[in-house]
Amino acid sequence: MTAMTRTWGRMTLAGKVLFTVVPILLVLTLGLIVLVVVAGKPIVDFLAANLWLVRFVVAATAVLLVSVPFAFLIMYMEMKIIALMNLRIGPDRVGPYGSLLSVVHGLKVLMKEDFSPTGADRLVFTLAPIAVFMATIMGMLVLPFAPGLFGADMEIGLLYFFGVTGLSVVGLLMAGWSSFNKYSLLGGLRSAAQVISYEIPLTLSVVGLLLLAGTMSLNTIVLNQAGWFTDWYVFQQPLGALIFFIAATAEANRTPFDLTEADSEIVAGFATEYSGMRFGFFFFAEYVNVFVVSGLIVTLFFGGWNAPFAWPEAWAVHLTIDPGSLGIGLLFALLIVPPVLILALAAPFFLLRSSMPWWQALIIGFVLFNLLIGAAVTGLAYVSWPWVAGLAWFLMKSYAFVFLFVWMRGTLPRVRIDQLMGFAWKWLLPAALLNLFVTAAALVVVHPK
Amino acid sequence: MTATPHVHPPQEVPSDDPRVELDAATGAFEPIPPYPPRTERESEFYTLGDGEMFINMGPQHPSTHGVLRIVLKLDGENVVDLDPVLGYLHRGVEKLCENADYHHSIAYLDPLEYISSLFCEWPGVLAFEKLLDVEVPRRAEYIRVLATELNRILSHSMFIGWMALDLGGLTPILYSLIERDEIAEMLAALTGQRLLFNYLRIGGVNGDLNHEFLSRLGDWMSRATTQIESNLTLLNENEIFVRRMRGLGTLDKETAFRMAVTGPNLRASGVPLDFRRAHPYSVFPELEFDIPTRDEGDCLARYLVRIDEIKQSLRIIDQCLENMPDGPIMAKLPRLLRPRPGRAYAAVEGPRGQYSAYVISDGTDQPFRMRIHDPSFVHLQSVGVLMPGHLIADAMAVMASLDPIMGGVDK
Repeated sequence: MTAMTRTWGRMTLAGKVLFTVVPILLVLTLGLIVLVVVAGKPIVDFLAANLWLVRFVVAATAVLLVSVPFAFLIMYMEMKIIALMNLRIGPDRVGPYGSLLSVVHGLKVLMKEDFSPTGADRLVFTLAPIAVFMATIMGMLVLPFAPGLFGADMEIGLLYFFGVTGLSVVGLLMAGWSSFNKYSLLGGLRSAAQVISYEIPLTLSVVGLLLLAGTMSLNTIVLNQAGWFTDWYVFQQPLGALIFFIAATAEANRTPFDLTEADSEIVAGFATEYSGMRFGFFFFAEYVNVFVVSGLIVTLFFGGWNAPFAWPEAWAVHLTIDPGSLGIGLLFALLIVPPVLILALAAPFFLLRSSMPWWQALIIGFVLFNLLIGAAVTGLAYVSWPWVAGLAWFLMKSYAFVFLFVWMRGTLPRVRIDQLMGFAWKWLLPAALLNLFVTAAALVVVHPK
Repeated sequence: MTATPHVHPPQEVPSDDPRVELDAATGAFEPIPPYPPRTERESEFYTLGDGEMFINMGPQHPSTHGVLRIVLKLDGENVVDLDPVLGYLHRGVEKLCENADYHHSIAYLDPLEYISSLFCEWPGVLAFEKLLDVEVPRRAEYIRVLATELNRILSHSMFIGWMALDLGGLTPILYSLIERDEIAEMLAALTGQRLLFNYLRIGGVNGDLNHEFLSRLGDWMSRATTQIESNLTLLNENEIFVRRMRGLGTLDKETAFRMAVTGPNLRASGVPLDFRRAHPYSVFPELEFDIPTRDEGDCLARYLVRIDEIKQSLRIIDQCLENMPDGPIMAKLPRLLRPRPGRAYAAVEGPRGQYSAYVISDGTDQPFRMRIHDPSFVHLQSVGVLMPGHLIADAMAVMASLDPIMGGVDK
């Protein structure tokens, strides 16, 4: 036993990782083989009979995985854009223009000590970040990213979204209560008051839109907005869109409504006592939430994955290349076109700049060639598959709103708690009701039954 | 539940701070002194009413401007009462000065308020000069005014940034830091230091104007007004900022007098008291400038008065550069100073108010007694009047608007 401990102690980190991971993988693989051999047929039959289960597992996994790069990009945007607004340089060390710094942040919180204070309710303290994170991720399940690219198309999609994202306040309250810290408690109670107050104008502001759309399915709402950008609901529901944007800012706890983590007042609010990956979950959930809220605004009011223009059918380009029809020519094309194109792209740099050695020109030619091919492949994909085009438009619009949130954070100070509540109840709620009333009246006038 | 006096459980873990004890039942540190209350006020404060709680703000809190600790008694988020606990940054500056000779003690005065070092030196130097009956050359006086007015702009621009930061704005502090850095660099060219300038000397200043300082100053002055204006648009035209500041922490004239408030905080309450005009010193009688005042006395007024003062300081700097006389920058003085026994007092108008020093000499080469009056310390007492009744968020804003520097408070 002692010898084993000593050997383990002498191993390098890589060795430890190897000697931990390889046996586990071996056991798992053997288990899988045994499972397939023993019970392969019934499992496949069961899955074939319950395709919804497969679909759910795949969608949940995909949504969980996809949330990571989205959140990392938003973290980087927040660091870099606010830095540029502050006339700082911002992250510039890890990766090109510091773009991998958020990955490093993620690794950092993983490696930190997972501390919980004396007197904290350990179980609730641990469950709180998970509750917040899950609430956010579950909201992402109904977001339509592109035609045919969504987790689930529910008939009550919007209702599901509000119900699920509203759960995050439970997690914040749990965190505030279990931390055994008065700052955390104040932060948790603030978040409860804020999120519940803003839930009402948030929900009421889209009722007018639901009257117009006649459905709660987010996918159908997007399909209704196809065509030119004038068909987007923001032009029929400008007041609703404005109220929704403001209330969504408060829901996502973003500046100027970030009272739950107001560092100049209550240190870090509900997250004061958190460290390590438990804090990482809060941090992560916040940024995923920003994306989800932006995505929902885009879905409801800005046409979702629809392009802002609709080409007439006559202009449509139908590119169909059948590689098989080229025969042996394909081989020659693959062999000859890249070097020729690289040389052609490198030639002007070599000829026009006398100080440039030939190998540098070749490198430039190679990079340009790859960019060109990449652009061509992307363009082809955009034209050929509607989901590529849809995803591109959806992400572009969503990140435009993410930029707006970051911009607000860089510019605005924080409101006070009584101003926050007063604004919700005295201004947003009546405005939302007015919007609903006007929409209903207009519908009655335009489409009398 | 009725208000019951706190029962002290047996203390198990001795804390470093005698005013904090470990609650044996919960394991929490409660900010309650372990000794029986010594005064009426203490027993009243440390007795919790119905639904109230203590919260220990500082000494490590993001917005207490250093190491100030305030024990707040809260009802929900409302501040009911507060007990500031000072002394975390006490360095015994007065005692240090009494054990150093006259030249040496100027260096100890510097780090009192590290944002406005020159103003901490000046009253001490003036008092020493009164004791020694020294005539300061006019060029030295002009250089002193020039350098201190730059320091005033530095201090005020940092105030603007901190004020915004305490209200949750992230960007203005960095714009302020740009201004501060420009001025710190040019003062470094003049004095050799960026933070603790240690520039004034008994009978003059340490060094003459040099080319780098003047070129940096000219470069900055040519765009200072527009740059400061454009930075301020971010705040002055921001509805959230103005709405939070207006009517917050109103300090009326009588309370201001009672609390011995001076400087911009007093002028924001409508009293045009400025030591540069009321008790003229140096060359201020020859210079033209206005005393900006506001009548509201709230946080917004305190903020706007400081902005107006920046503009007046720019005016003074212009006049200094125009009228700068030639001549020596130091009076002729022996290396070892032995003033005759006596007392002297001098006060100057700093960015926070009245900075003054009172010196007693016993005829040796060291001051017998050195008393330093610092506006931060005096202003901090008015938080007891201003904070109760506000929310926590506003309480922090009120404190920021008084602009205390903890180095000056704890001395």
